[in-house]
Amino acid sequence: MNRNSRGTVTCGLVVTGLLTAVGCSGADTATTGGSPVDAARLKLTPTTPAAQGPVAKVNWLLEDEPDSLDLDSQGSSAGRVVLTNVCERLYQLQPDMTVKPFLAEKATTPDGKTLVLKIRSGVTFHDGSKLTADDVLWSLKRHADPDMEQSDEFTNVSTMTKTGADEITVRFKQPDALFTKALAGDAGIVWNKEQVEKAGKEFGTPGQGDACSGPYELTGWKSGDSITIRAYDGYWGERPLTKEVVFRWASDSALVNALKTGAADGTFAESPNTASALRDAKGLSQYYGPSTATLDLIPTERGGLKDPRVRRAVSLTLDRAGIAKSGYGGLVQPWASPVGSGAWGYAKPEFAAAQKQLAAGAPASPDADDIAEAKKLVKEAGAPSAPIVIGTDASQGRTVVANALRAALQRIGLKGEIKTVPTTQFEEFYSDPQARTGIDVLVGDWYISKSDPMGFYDNGLSDSSNNWIGFKDAAYDKKVHQALSTLDDAQRAALAIDVQKRFTDAAVWIPVAQVPSVLVLNSRLTGAPASQAYLYYPWAAGLGARKG
Amino acid sequence: MAARIVRRLAGFLATLLAASFVIFAAVYAAPGDPAVFLAGGRDELTPERLAAVRAQYHLDEPLVVQYGRWLADCVHLDLGRSFKYGDQVADLIAARLPTTVELVAYATVLFVVLGVGSGILAAIRQSTWVDSAVVGGTTLAASVPSFVAAIALVSLFGVQLGWFPVTGAGSGLAGTLHHLTLPALSLALGALALISRVTRQAMADAAASDHVEAARASGIPERDIVRRHVLRNALGPIVTMCGLVMAGMLAGTVVVETAFGISGIGSLLVGAINTHDFPVAQAVLLLMVTGYVVVTTVVDLVHPLLDPRVREEARTA
Repeated sequence: MNRNSRGTVTCGLVVTGLLTAVGCSGADTATTGGSPVDAARLKLTPTTPAAQGPVAKVNWLLEDEPDSLDLDSQGSSAGRVVLTNVCERLYQLQPDMTVKPFLAEKATTPDGKTLVLKIRSGVTFHDGSKLTADDVLWSLKRHADPDMEQSDEFTNVSTMTKTGADEITVRFKQPDALFTKALAGDAGIVWNKEQVEKAGKEFGTPGQGDACSGPYELTGWKSGDSITIRAYDGYWGERPLTKEVVFRWASDSALVNALKTGAADGTFAESPNTASALRDAKGLSQYYGPSTATLDLIPTERGGLKDPRVRRAVSLTLDRAGIAKSGYGGLVQPWASPVGSGAWGYAKPEFAAAQKQLAAGAPASPDADDIAEAKKLVKEAGAPSAPIVIGTDASQGRTVVANALRAALQRIGLKGEIKTVPTTQFEEFYSDPQARTGIDVLVGDWYISKSDPMGFYDNGLSDSSNNWIGFKDAAYDKKVHQALSTLDDAQRAALAIDVQKRFTDAAVWIPVAQVPSVLVLNSRLTGAPASQAYLYYPWAAGLGARKG
Repeated sequence: MAARIVRRLAGFLATLLAASFVIFAAVYAAPGDPAVFLAGGRDELTPERLAAVRAQYHLDEPLVVQYGRWLADCVHLDLGRSFKYGDQVADLIAARLPTTVELVAYATVLFVVLGVGSGILAAIRQSTWVDSAVVGGTTLAASVPSFVAAIALVSLFGVQLGWFPVTGAGSGLAGTLHHLTLPALSLALGALALISRVTRQAMADAAASDHVEAARASGIPERDIVRRHVLRNALGPIVTMCGLVMAGMLAGTVVVETAFGISGIGSLLVGAINTHDFPVAQAVLLLMVTGYVVVTTVVDLVHPLLDPRVREEARTA
């Protein structure tokens, strides 16, 4: 699965008829007390300083209660933040966003269509039983079941078989460059077969065990109250410094208050505005790490932005620096591609250089030349006379983006009209073509779960359901398929950079900014990763006291 | 008497059945497509996948068929599973109901003690500065929406002074009281003016009646008059009003729960409505209706015991 929808931050449409109640105050409105950061100088670091000493208990905050702790049936990021400390995967995403074999101790590719995984020995599940190749095979088949969240990762797989006491062989219809990356995500979790089968339908609901082998075991989930995990005594790897983590959840102002008063020790802030509200809070540190998330303008089928020249003109005119400052307190960075730098799990220097080159078509602060160029493009295209309808919800950040877009359109002689819908309806723009008939462009956001830009660019294929504008380019399609089946990193990077250039030249989407992942942490603690890896890496295992 | 109870019970069930259908239809008609939430990530939203999900959850059937299915399960005491959590709806509610009930109970104690107390005070000291202060103060309190009160209370007593916790519901009696004081206060503030005004008026009416005049003339001490005659006669409307306000609160905890990060029935309902979690929304709303009907029925039954005149009417009816 490439795209996990973010849990929409719910603003209570309350029975008593109160609109935008407390749920929408605090973090999601004017940034309280936080001084804006200069986005251009925001340093992204994947890790935090190593911890020196043990900690008995840490109180952690999530933005919502996990739907379920069975990530096969319900994958929400809240559930992932908890479970990534409890469950382990065949591969592991590192804080620097690279991927390495993990429960699969060694992986070999005898040919492009075969992957042989040697399963690590000496690993036990939390019930003390041994992790075997049978568990691995059973888990892979469970992930591949069409009803499960991760089934789309297995489209290229032809067979999965046990070929030795500790060996699983996966064969492919065609080489699949992203498969091992998927195994570092939820498609690679190894469950304890016996436990999952015993729990049946109740697996993953409050009161059930965890069926995993990670550094922490799930000791309790009181529905509506808290989730507790404790360091597992029989863990095969290094023992964590933090003995126990208690998760609670709160949104917006309640979350901000809990951190301010020390009731909670830390959180991975899903929205930059939350982080913004906590910028100057005493006793809290903030770390910003690379993530794959971006803010984008996504043109729709309706056709107001059908002409690529007009889309390029908009990209040249948009005041990205202004959006970062007034919409997000400087905690997002003007960006020229639809994938954040956290996706560079390989060939980092090449991707970084390519990004610099793209910046010409997506300036942070447009100058007179950019505007002149944009006006010329609009003139060539024959300016559309009907107003361009901008779809957004009422959240602070998106409102600012929508207004900046309207201003950009005006500067190049076009009319923009903003259409605001409730947050609950907003998510439908992504899924329902019917809902999109009323708008020309969506103030959207997107992230991918794999640290490989190619996990995104299939959205531009001519037959992709996410290619709303109907971008068609045979060369592009060919290159995407070629990259997706190229196992060599250097070659795939070259192809990906080519594909990226085509996508941005046609401005299939108009990138606005990259959204770093934000770790807010009690200043006495350190050691957790700050990058988007927190969703797939046992971040709590590295957490501990700053002083030994 | 038995016939009356049966009549009541039948009326109660009929109310619930009607309410359940109205709620089901309303949830069904709400804009948005639950299949989108059920299908998972944004890149899985192909039309085929959505159709499969709709079939799996019976979302493609007509309203009446879906309602019949739900009702049949309901009769077997099966409220179904949440779309969002995959857990039994009954379990989800059982885990959160105590918190909301504690919150409403605490708020009720607060508004009864403070509201009735200040109302009595205003009635006894009618037309003095005390009376004006009570009326003015409670009116001011009522004019502040509960979410504004919540934010103000949190930032003053929680964040600035650190006297009270800012999130969660606490555990144990002391912990619960400590955690729920601010939320209960924000919930009770709005009801204060109403209760205090009703108390004051009921007392004034009772004090103006003939037998109180007669009692005064026969030289009974003022304190005894207030307690035995005035307050007793005024109790009917006061209790009725308190019951109604409390019943209304059962459905009104949403705002306060969100502000204080409390996972109760209110926040469960908002989450369910926002993610089109039919089974949960349906069950919670029905529970709220049940609560309201039960509380108002109890008030109805208690009323005659408090007011001899009503008891007379009931007997002759």
